[in-house]
Amino acid sequence: MTALANPVAVPSREDVRAVYEDVRAFYDAYFEALDEDRLEEWADFFVEECRYRIIPRENYEAGQKACIMQGDSKGMLTDRVRAIRSTQVYAPRYCRRFYSGLRLVNKTGRQLQTRQNLLVVHTLVSQPSRILGCGAAHDRLILTDGGLLKLVERTIILDTEMIDNTIIYPF
Amino acid sequence: MSAVTRHWPDAGETRVPYWVYTDKDLYQSELERIWYGEHWLYAGLEAEIPTVGSYRTTTLGERSVIVLRNAPNEISVLENRCRHRGVTICQARSGKLDNITCPYHQWSYALDGTLQGVPFRRGIKGKGGMSPEFSPSDHSLVRLKVEVVNGVIWASFSDKTPPFREYFSERLWHSYERMFSGRKLRIEGYTRQTIPANWKLIVENFRDPYHAGLLHVFLPTFGLFRPDQGLELRMDETGRHGSIMPVPGHDPKAHSGNDFLRETAHDQSFKLADRRLVEAVHELKGEETVSTSTVFPSVIFLQQINSLQVRQIIPRGPEEFELIFTFFGFEDDDEEMRQRRIRHGNLFGPAGLVTVDDFEVLPMAQSTYRAAENEESVLMMGQGGRINSDAGSLATESPIRGFYQYYREVMEL
Repeated sequence: MTALANPVAVPSREDVRAVYEDVRAFYDAYFEALDEDRLEEWADFFVEECRYRIIPRENYEAGQKACIMQGDSKGMLTDRVRAIRSTQVYAPRYCRRFYSGLRLVNKTGRQLQTRQNLLVVHTLVSQPSRILGCGAAHDRLILTDGGLLKLVERTIILDTEMIDNTIIYPF
Repeated sequence: MSAVTRHWPDAGETRVPYWVYTDKDLYQSELERIWYGEHWLYAGLEAEIPTVGSYRTTTLGERSVIVLRNAPNEISVLENRCRHRGVTICQARSGKLDNITCPYHQWSYALDGTLQGVPFRRGIKGKGGMSPEFSPSDHSLVRLKVEVVNGVIWASFSDKTPPFREYFSERLWHSYERMFSGRKLRIEGYTRQTIPANWKLIVENFRDPYHAGLLHVFLPTFGLFRPDQGLELRMDETGRHGSIMPVPGHDPKAHSGNDFLRETAHDQSFKLADRRLVEAVHELKGEETVSTSTVFPSVIFLQQINSLQVRQIIPRGPEEFELIFTFFGFEDDDEEMRQRRIRHGNLFGPAGLVTVDDFEVLPMAQSTYRAAENEESVLMMGQGGRINSDAGSLATESPIRGFYQYYREVMEL
């Protein structure tokens, strides 16, 4: 985590130029899939051995590890999607994610690190849209042999102190 | 007060009128009689404030308090309100203090809450200054009664509250001691959420064995619970506290390792892609794989698989409460166990694969109550209340009835 917490290596302009548009397109596709409720595609944005976390900033800064949501493998992400689809009970809602300030933090060979700010808004039936979460994502990606970008690790550090009841869908 | 003018249904605790979840005057009366009355409230864990001067702020009832270690073996719980103008003194959630100083006029208090300094008390160049009638000793921070029991900090606004173990009762002590044996705890983190429902609904939810395998489809689907499972339901003599522990099946050995999941899975076709999500190691005293207890009125303790957690309730008006999860383990956990606890945390909290069901269904109930205050819940499953006659079954609502037997007494309803 120290590499994520204190990125010192600044990628060269060439490196940024080479991959930025691809990274941008990757995230556009990622968020579009989630916003359009194509959850079954979510895990495919990750490699098999991956880690996904939504962690309260309070815990993150204290060096504590408890998360709001955590997947330790692609399988665990598909297990969550199966639970969302077939076992969890919740009121219907829309969920929309807004990211900004996408930055390439590091590039070493095929491994990339990125950061972005994140705002998530949810809308329940007959209710005004409300902020569900506000935070930052610290990601690690890899450029696969097939030329595709995949997430190796996605850590969402959530500023939001008091969650508006529940988080159903991933960010 | 309209609370006393309300009439409880003649059918007793087999009915709960919806106005108990909406009435503003009743809610104010609950704060006075229950939250600020002769009850112990969960104030935190000793492990959260390990050294002298370290503190955390929390909310008891609706009041902000500072929980701090003022001496190596002494913990103070002080109302976080300056005695001068009522300013909230500590804004941060946690930190370290030498003394407690109000930002407004710099009134300062010792770590035990004693007022130590009032700037310009003697005036400036003989002019002004505090009235000679002012007595600093009468203006200490409001200090709550405190008891630390096996690493858990309890506080009470009343001096008359009996010792904690007596309050919680011998009948339930084993469920407490099972999680809090005195073994040193390690805090793994917190989650915080607001739930638009009355605080009593979450307490009832934890005293409702009937819903466990029905609402929570995840549990039977992935083999963590089955409806024919035996249950041990216990209450104290008053009915206000309770514990629910599923009793392991016919072959206790099946529950002592990873195999218990396969033993109880009701449908082998539902398999997790990554079983580590629920794979547990047996660790606590006894054969139970789950234990829950509710300590009236403020807290729920839960152990399920290897997740250990405190759920603290903070009432916010009749139709809203906050729920704070504190996830913990033990200081001597190895790295593998810490990872396992955190992974199992996926089932709990604001995005919990299991708990989301509860947090979503409670507002679905609350949202109908205001427009139908004189309608009532029907709680006719099983027999008895705090005098329990069907303690071994999940098809009962006796723990909820027991809760309301005590509630009606303390609220004089």
